[in-house]
Amino acid sequence: MRRGPGIAGLQHAVRTKEQYKVAGEEVKKNSLQAMHEQLSAFRSNLEEFARKYRADVRRDPVFRAQFHTMCANIGVDPLASNKSLWASALGFGDYYYELGVQVVEACLASRSLNGGMMELPALLRAVSRRRGGAAEPVSEDDVVRAIKKLRVLGGGFDLVTIGGRAYVRSVPGELNLDKNRALEAAQARGYTSVADLAAAAGWSAGRADDTLQALTREGLAWVDDGAPDGVRLYWFPCLSGAGGSAAEEQAAAAAGAAESGPAPG
Amino acid sequence: MGSFAFPYFHNYPPYFTLQPVKETRDKQVALWCSLVLQYCQHTKTFVLDVQGDSPLFVNKVINRKLNQEARVAILDELATQGRAEWMDKGKTRCLVYWRRVDEWAGAVTEFVRTFGLSDSVMTVDELSSGDDVRGTDLYGVHPEILTRALKLLEAQGKVRTFKGATPEELGVKFI
Repeated sequence: MRRGPGIAGLQHAVRTKEQYKVAGEEVKKNSLQAMHEQLSAFRSNLEEFARKYRADVRRDPVFRAQFHTMCANIGVDPLASNKSLWASALGFGDYYYELGVQVVEACLASRSLNGGMMELPALLRAVSRRRGGAAEPVSEDDVVRAIKKLRVLGGGFDLVTIGGRAYVRSVPGELNLDKNRALEAAQARGYTSVADLAAAAGWSAGRADDTLQALTREGLAWVDDGAPDGVRLYWFPCLSGAGGSAAEEQAAAAAGAAESGPAPG
Repeated sequence: MGSFAFPYFHNYPPYFTLQPVKETRDKQVALWCSLVLQYCQHTKTFVLDVQGDSPLFVNKVINRKLNQEARVAILDELATQGRAEWMDKGKTRCLVYWRRVDEWAGAVTEFVRTFGLSDSVMTVDELSSGDDVRGTDLYGVHPEILTRALKLLEAQGKVRTFKGATPEELGVKFI
C-alpha cells in the first residue's frame, strides 16, 4: 500500500488499518461461531449417542472397544478427564480408575511369586475374580486401557510383548534383549536351562548363565534342582506354559494363606 | 477323612528347591508353612518325621521331593512362630502345633468343664487316648503336646501335675 503524504495520508492509513481489523474480527467471529455451532452439534450428537448406548458401552466389552476406536479416530479421548462429558455421560473415568486399582491389587498380590510379571490373560482372570461374578465383564482391551492410565503414575506399569504374547510388568526396570530371549526360550514349557537357552539363542553358556541368574535375582525365575538328570532348571511363574496359570493360582493360594495364616505367638 | 487337596504350588517343581533369592525364598517358605499346618491338621499328624516320605514333602506325580535342608528351613520357621518344636537336637523329628499350645490347653479346660471333672485326677495317657476323651478334640493328641498344654495350665494355676513312672503316666488334677 502506498503511503499518502501529510496528515490526511496518515489518517487514511490508520482508518484503513482499522477497517481491516474490524473486517478481520468479523470473519474470525463468524468462523469461531460456526466452529462453536459445529462443536456443540457434535457434542450433543455424541452425548446423545453415548446416552443412547450407555448401557451397551458399559456392558459389552466388544462394543466398548469399538467405541474407543471410534473416539480415537475422531481424536477425542473419553478418558481424558473425570469431569469430561464422557465421564458424566458414561461414568467412564471412574470405571477405568476402579479397574486400574484392581489391576494394581492383582499385580501386587502376585508380585513376590512371579517377580512382578503377569501374562495379560492371567491378569484379566485375576481382575475378574477380584470384581466378582456379578460385575460387568472386562475385556483385555479394558485392562490395557487401565494400564495405560496407570503409566501416568510412573509406578513402572507397562506392557511388554515377548514371543508374541502380551505381559504386564508391574515393577520398574528394563527387560533387556537377553532376558527377553530367555523368557521366549522358556515360553513353550515354562522352564529352561543354561544349556537349553544357550542352544536356543546361540549363546555361550556363560551368557545364558548370567541372564538366568539375573532373572532369578529379580524374582522372575525360580530355580529347580530336583530334575532327575540333576540339571538346574529355571522356571518362570509368569509363563502359562507351566501347565495352566501357575502365578495366578499361586496368587490365589497366597491370598488364602494370608487370610488364614498362623497368628504370631 | 477325605483326601487332602494340595495347593497348586505343590505341583510346581521349583517349590521343591529352596530358592536362593531371599524375597522369593521367604514367600516360598511362608506358603510351605501354611501347607504343613493344614496338612497336619487334616491328617491329625502331631509329629513330623523330617526324613520320611510323607506325601507332604514328596510329589511323585511331578517327580520332586523337598530336600532335608528345605524341610528343616520350613520347620525352623514354624518353630520361630511357635507353631512347631524340634524333638531332638539333630532335627529329625518335629512336633507340629497345628493348634497352638494355648488352644490345646483351652480344649482341656473345655473337656473338664463339659464332663464335670473338676477335682478329679487323670493321667496324660487317659487324656489323650482314654475312653472318656473318645469323640472329643483331645482324642489322639500326642502326649508331648498334651503335657505342654498341661504345664501351661499349671502355670495358670488351673491344674496340678504329678510325676508318674513314665512321661505318659504324668498325673493331673483339675482344680
